[in-house]
Amino acid sequence: MSRKASGLKAWAIQRLTAIYIGLFALYLVAVLLFAAPVDFVAWKEWIGGPLVSVMLLLFIVSVLMHAWIGVRDILIDYVHPIAIRASLLGLVAMALVGMGLWAAQALILVRMA
Amino acid sequence: MALNKRRFDALIIGAGGAGLNAAIQLANTDARVAVVSKVFPTRSHTVAAQGGVNAALANVLPDNWHWHMFDTVKGSDYLGDQDAIEFMCREAIPTVYELEHNGVPFSRLDDGKIYQRAFGGQSQDFGGAQAARTCAAADRTGHAILHALYQQNVRARTHFFDEYFAIDLIRDDEGAILGALVMEIETGEPLLIEAKATVLATGGCGQVYRTTSNAHINTGDGMAMALRAGIPLMDMEFFQFHPTGIAGRGMLITEGVRGEGGYLVNRDGERFMERYAPNAKDLASRDVVSRAIVTEVKEGRGCGPQADHVLLKVDHLGEEIVSKRLPGIRESGRIFAGVDAAHEPLPVFPTAHYVMGGIPTDPYGRVIVPQGTGEEVVPGLYAAGECACVSVHGANRLGGNSLLDILVFGRAAGLDVIENLQEHKNHRPMNESSVEAAMARLTRWDQKGEGISIRELRDEFRKTMEDHAGVFRTEEIMGEGVEKLKALRDRLPEVRLHDHSKVFNTARVEALELENLFDTGIAIAYSALMRKESRGAHSRPDYPDRDDTNWMKHSLYFREDDRMDYKPVRTKPLTVETFPPKARVY
Amino acid sequence: MKFLVSRFNPESDTSPYMQEFEVEVVRGMMLRDALLEIKRHDESFAFRHSCGEGVCGSDGVNVNGTNKLACITPISELTEPVEVRPFPGRPIIRDLVVDMTQFYQQYRAVKPWLVRDDPMPEQEILQSPEERDKLDGLYECILCGCCSTACPSFWWNPEKFHGPQALLTAWRFLADSRDQATDERLDALEGPYKLFRCHTIMNCVDVCPKGLNPTKAIGHIKTLMLKNAV
Repeated sequence: MSRKASGLKAWAIQRLTAIYIGLFALYLVAVLLFAAPVDFVAWKEWIGGPLVSVMLLLFIVSVLMHAWIGVRDILIDYVHPIAIRASLLGLVAMALVGMGLWAAQALILVRMA
Repeated sequence: MALNKRRFDALIIGAGGAGLNAAIQLANTDARVAVVSKVFPTRSHTVAAQGGVNAALANVLPDNWHWHMFDTVKGSDYLGDQDAIEFMCREAIPTVYELEHNGVPFSRLDDGKIYQRAFGGQSQDFGGAQAARTCAAADRTGHAILHALYQQNVRARTHFFDEYFAIDLIRDDEGAILGALVMEIETGEPLLIEAKATVLATGGCGQVYRTTSNAHINTGDGMAMALRAGIPLMDMEFFQFHPTGIAGRGMLITEGVRGEGGYLVNRDGERFMERYAPNAKDLASRDVVSRAIVTEVKEGRGCGPQADHVLLKVDHLGEEIVSKRLPGIRESGRIFAGVDAAHEPLPVFPTAHYVMGGIPTDPYGRVIVPQGTGEEVVPGLYAAGECACVSVHGANRLGGNSLLDILVFGRAAGLDVIENLQEHKNHRPMNESSVEAAMARLTRWDQKGEGISIRELRDEFRKTMEDHAGVFRTEEIMGEGVEKLKALRDRLPEVRLHDHSKVFNTARVEALELENLFDTGIAIAYSALMRKESRGAHSRPDYPDRDDTNWMKHSLYFREDDRMDYKPVRTKPLTVETFPPKARVY
Repeated sequence: MKFLVSRFNPESDTSPYMQEFEVEVVRGMMLRDALLEIKRHDESFAFRHSCGEGVCGSDGVNVNGTNKLACITPISELTEPVEVRPFPGRPIIRDLVVDMTQFYQQYRAVKPWLVRDDPMPEQEILQSPEERDKLDGLYECILCGCCSTACPSFWWNPEKFHGPQALLTAWRFLADSRDQATDERLDALEGPYKLFRCHTIMNCVDVCPKGLNPTKAIGHIKTLMLKNAV
């Protein structure tokens, strides 16, 4: 881990994203309980709405950042050989970016449809 | 195997308040200074000092250093050297400010100044109303000071030898001190540390008694090293028994408890100190209160099923004051006596606490020995703190003056070493025969075979000291005691270690400490037997009065042939008038 | 009462083992008294101890799985057999004596002294009782090491993570109204290791024999850092 790797920033982001993830999860639960889309068309319409898709995008970004910081913390704690740690961090980064792109693609497809 | 050697400008043995305050002076110059301590510095016994440090700051009540000086001279029962006392009481004020600047978290008054509390023996205007002179950090003042001093030494990059045990001083044929032989406890390896100046700051020897407020490490190491180097110990008969140790255990309950308004009662609920000290009552001098408690118990007015203690009441102060001003005491009471001081009285009894005597020094920390009709300085040797005797405490020390003593004279010694180093640029040549003698003290414990165990002799020794050199002392009790101690000393060569391993062998350290306990304990018993008067902490029913005609003098005990010598008290202060001896009533 | 005590002498043993002792318990006995009793029977048994009243911080040990100060731990509060081990995660020197070098290094690394740029006044630096109250619960630390050696984050990264003790000390100076090095102190704590390895596991709070709360102090440091950053 480089000396410049962030401490405060990571810690603050982890907490901010956690708050957002929590709030969004509450919203999601509320929608599913009280106004669940009845079919696939309604579902697409709901997801594709401008406000919901921005919130969802933000949620995905938050989850990815939160996951990245969490996994990074675990690796810093437990994996000390620098080469192994760097490789694992690289793999995790690739996986997270991949997942992010995949989610973004789905979102774009929904909006285009 | 070749002996490892290190060279420093100055060597300080002991890392309590005195040693660290000497070290910080030196570390702030370009001198190379080594501090040797048998424990990690913040474990030194200064950490246990509770009540505070005296200085006439006048933050709470009117005060000045001259009144402080009067109280100290009177408290010493006129045996303290008045030049040294004046020096200490004047230096007290800048010393406390310096501590504060160094980060000590003193308790505060509403105006932001350092909090000061009343302690025993303090007066305004030369014996008038009670003064409030003791600067305090709650009831953890020693802890706060020791940690701040260690922190300042860390900042100044002082070189520490943590967990090294000092074996003996090394001296040349002219008597000059060249350094010391020490042992790294972790490896058991000896190390010779050469120094142009050596400061002994090893603290007290309370472990000579069975019941003591002193830590396991207070074994008189520096005093015994001085004795073995041919230097006498001064005024060793004056050993302070603190009035309020937790009964049966010895842990200290600070005088600050009484300073905050606590008081003592006997089984009848009587505030008995009113009989012994009508004016000062519970804040009379420590020797007065200790004797009063022992008298109450002896005459059958003790408390508890065994009627073997008295009670210290603080609960009337209310929970808020107790937890704010005396949190550590409340904690100790809970743990060791099972009593919550905020609601119930604490069981207390006197406990061996502080040795007024020690290695004779001048106010600059230089060790002085008799020479012809006068005195001379031992080249290269200093002493400061409880192991030294300047003498500012004389026959009895006032509460709050011990932290002051270690800080003022630790600092003074450090400063004098700096001056001394200007004149002595080079190390003196090493004296191999002295190194061999010191090594012999170490290798003696390599002897194998059957013998007496350390524990057996130590237990017997400490009990004998308690029974025969305690609070009340008669010719008969003490004469018998000295004979017993000598007989025990004769058995010392028969003691054997069973464990000869090298790595962190605490048994070997205890063996070396046992020898030191014997040397200092016998100095106490011998000096006490010889002094035929009652003065301060030295109380003899067979000589109940103070005898200024014959005994206003310092005793000097030499290890060789258990010889005694005496020297006059220095009654002339530096700038003010002498305080002539008066009856000491509180 | 049965005691199982960890023994290890590097001159004769290859690894630590537990040895059984029977100690006669008397009323009011502390764990240190029991260890001293064991040493009376076997002088080769090594442990650190000094003041006997919980202020010097020498005799921290692991008892039945929890770090404690032996001298203020009543035997009556312990379940039999009492298992006494050295602090976890530290190199063992002998028996219950461990090497605390890294712990002290971390303490020194936070610059544990008062920094003052202004010229010193002739008298004391003034501090109100309220300002002084902020140091309560911080300055009382006795450096026994119970907290840091109970902290998993310190086990994993003892050379880089300051540990609860040093961070408590860092906050003791940050919280002192007399100290003038707030920015330097905060800057020095930045990065993922020194401060931010703390995951608020709170073992330190559970074991502190002086009842101090390093986790809370660490929280205060983080909040102050955040305040200064935005």
